[in-house]
Amino acid sequence: MRKLTLASFALTAAALFSQAAHADQLADIKQRGTLVCGTLGTAEPFSYPNPQTRETQGYDVDFCAAVAKALGVKLELKLISVPARIPELLQGRVDVLAANLGWTPERAQQIAFSDSYFVSNQMAAARRADKLKTPADLSGKRVAAAKGSTSEAGARKHIPNVQTVSFEDTPSIFLALQQGKVDGVVISELTLVAWKKDAEASAVPIDVLQPALFAEPWGIGMRKGETALISKVNEVLAGMEKSGEAQKIFDKYLGTGTKFNLHRTFKIEPIKG
Amino acid sequence: MQPLDFSILLRDDAPQMLVNGITLMLELTGFAWLLAMVLGTLLALVRMGRSKLAEGAVGAWVEYHQNVPMLVQIFLWYFGIATLLPSGLQMWMNRHGGEFIFATIAIGLASSAYMSEGLRGGIRAIPPSQIEAVRALGLNYLQAFRHVVFPQAFRIALPTLINHTVLLFKNTSLAMTIGVAEMMYATREIESRSFKTIEIYLLATAVYLGISLLIMAGGSLAERRLRVATR
Amino acid sequence: MGEIATILHDYGLLLLVGQYPSGALGGLALTFILAVLGLALAFPLSVLLALARVSPYPILYWPATALVYVMRGLPLIMLIFWVYFFLPVLLGRPVSGFSTLLATLVIYEAAYLAEIVRAGIESLPRGQMEAARSVGLTYMQAMRKVVLPQAIYNMTPAMLSQFVSTIKETSLGYVISVNELTFAANQVNSTLLTKPFPVFVILASIYFVLCFSLTQLARQLEKRVARRRAGIVRGAAAPAALPQIAAIAE
Repeated sequence: MRKLTLASFALTAAALFSQAAHADQLADIKQRGTLVCGTLGTAEPFSYPNPQTRETQGYDVDFCAAVAKALGVKLELKLISVPARIPELLQGRVDVLAANLGWTPERAQQIAFSDSYFVSNQMAAARRADKLKTPADLSGKRVAAAKGSTSEAGARKHIPNVQTVSFEDTPSIFLALQQGKVDGVVISELTLVAWKKDAEASAVPIDVLQPALFAEPWGIGMRKGETALISKVNEVLAGMEKSGEAQKIFDKYLGTGTKFNLHRTFKIEPIKG
Repeated sequence: MQPLDFSILLRDDAPQMLVNGITLMLELTGFAWLLAMVLGTLLALVRMGRSKLAEGAVGAWVEYHQNVPMLVQIFLWYFGIATLLPSGLQMWMNRHGGEFIFATIAIGLASSAYMSEGLRGGIRAIPPSQIEAVRALGLNYLQAFRHVVFPQAFRIALPTLINHTVLLFKNTSLAMTIGVAEMMYATREIESRSFKTIEIYLLATAVYLGISLLIMAGGSLAERRLRVATR
Repeated sequence: MGEIATILHDYGLLLLVGQYPSGALGGLALTFILAVLGLALAFPLSVLLALARVSPYPILYWPATALVYVMRGLPLIMLIFWVYFFLPVLLGRPVSGFSTLLATLVIYEAAYLAEIVRAGIESLPRGQMEAARSVGLTYMQAMRKVVLPQAIYNMTPAMLSQFVSTIKETSLGYVISVNELTFAANQVNSTLLTKPFPVFVILASIYFVLCFSLTQLARQLEKRVARRRAGIVRGAAAPAALPQIAAIAE
C-alpha cells in the first residue's frame, strides 16, 4: 500500500513538472524528427479511416505527408474535432492543421494560412421530398452545421432568418437531416457529394441547393509569426503544383474514377482577402 | 493575460442565448426529474411485489441504465430509437422540439433507475413487521404503501434522492451534443463567436454551481424538516 | 441483427483498439487505460482530501470542502472545457487531449473518492482512533496504520463502483476529440452514414458488458467485506450497506 501511494505521488509529480518552451518551430520540428499534423479523421475523402488497415488516409493527409517528407521528418497524425482545430493549434498541441480549414477574416486574425491547397464550395442541402430549390428557401427554417465552422457562420450570414443548430461532428449533422430533425444543412460540397450518393440508396435522398452559398479557400493552418515554417510550407506547395503532384492527389481522391468525379478548377495560390 | 471583459456577455445575441439556455436547462431538469421520480416510485413498488418476472424486468432496466454512459444513452435515443418510431410521429417531434423531448426521456429514464434503487433501499430499511401490523389493521397493500411505507422510505432515501437530483441536473449539460440550446450549448456558442473563453466559462460555472448548491441546501432543509425524533 | 454482425466484423477492431498499430491506440483500449490511470492517480489525492475533510484545522478543512463541493456541483463536461483551456496555459506547454481528459478525471474522481474514503473513516468506531492514540501513536500514525487501512478496505466495493463511473465518464472525451470508444463509434457512423441504430446498440452493449461485469465484481466484494466486518461468526447477518455509501456511489 505504501509503495503504491509513493509511486502514485511520483507519477503525478512527473506528469505535472515537464518542461516547456520552444523557439523557432521549423527548427524544433526538424530537431524533433516528427511533424504533428492535426486532421479530422471523420471527413471522407480528406481524412478518414481506411476500412481495412484502420489507418487515417486522405487528401489532407497526403498533403501533410508531402510537407513532412520535404522537411525530412516523420509524419504524426493527430485526430481532432472541428471546433477543436484552432485551439489545438494555438495551444501548440499540433504543429500544422490539414483539417478542412477554410479561410475567414476572423480565423486569419488568429492563425496563419498557407497558400490555398483546395477550394471548397459551401453548399446548402435539403431532403428531396421537401422540394426546396435555393438556399433562400431555407429562410426561417432549422439548418444544421458543425459547431464553430465556417459553414455555420456562412449559413447565418447568407440565409436570412435562419435558425442554426450546431452539432459536434459531421455524422450527427447528416443524421439530423436524414431523420428530419433539421430542414437543411450547410456543409462543404465535397462532403455533400459523397453523402448524396450514399443517401440516394437510402430512404431519404437529398438534393443540393443552388447556387453555392460561398466559395472557401482552404489552407494549411500554422501559428502566426512562424515565418520560417510558413514560407517552407508554401514552398513545398508551390513545388507540388509545379510537379503535378497536387493534381495527382486531387485525382486520387476526388477525380474521375472516385465517387466524386470532379474536375480540378483551382490552382495552388496565395489566399486573397 | 488580458483583463476580463464581461461586456461581451451583453452584446449581440449573447443575452438572448443565455436566457434561453438557462430556461431550457431548468425546464429539462424539471421534466426529467418528474419523469424520474414517478417512474422510480412505480419501479420500486413493482419490485416490492411477488412477481419474479416483474422483479427481473425491473432489475434489467436498472442494470442497463446504470451501466451505459449517459452520453451514449442520449445518442441512442435521439439518433437511434427515434428512427424506429412511425414517420408521422417523427415528423411531429421534429417540428416540436424533438431533441428536447428525447433528452428529457433519456435523462429521466436513466435517473429513474437510480431513484428506484434509492427508494428500494429506503423500503428495505422498514421492518416487515410494520407492514404486517398495518395489513392486520385492515389496510390493503396499496394503502399500506401510501400511508406507512412510502413516507418512511422516502425520508430514509432522501439523501440518495437529493444526490441523484443533482446528478440529473448536471446531466442536462450533455443535451448540448444533440443540439438542445441549453446552458452548455449557449456557453460554447458564445465562446466560438467571441473567443472570450474565461468570461463565459465563469458565468456558466457560477450558474451550475449556484443551482447545484441550491438543490443540495434544499435537500438538507427537507431532511431536517422530515426528521422524526427517534430513540 | 445481421447488420450488427456485419458492423462488428468490419469495424470491431476499430472500436476495440482504434488505429493501433498503424496509429495511436484508441477505442475501448484507450477508454480502459484512461479509467485505470485516472483512478490510480486520483487515489492518493483523494486520501489527502479525505484527511483534510476530517481534520479539525480550518486551513485544511475549508479548501478541501470547497473543492469537493465544486466538483459535486459542476457538470463534468464544463470541467473538461475548463481544463482544456487552462492546463496548457498553466503548464506553458502543449497538452494532448488524452492528458486533458486524464487531468480532468483525476481532479473529478479525487473529489468523489475523497467522500468515499471519508465515509469509510467516519464509519469506523471512534474507539479505534482512541485506542491507537492511547497506545502512544500520534494522530497521523494512528491514521496511517490503523484507521485508513480499515477504512479503505471497507470502502473497496464503493471504490470499484466509482471505477465503473469513471469508465462511463471517459465517453465525454468525445467532445474534445479523444479517440476513445464513443469517438470511434462516431467514426464508424461517419463512414456508414445510414446505420446509426445498430452502431449505437453495439456501443451501448460494449459499455454495458464492461461496466456490468465490474459492478457484479463490486457486489461480490461487498459481500466479502461485510462478512469480514461482521466477524467470522456462522449465521451472523451481514450488516446492510450504510446509507452514506449508497448516497455517494453512483
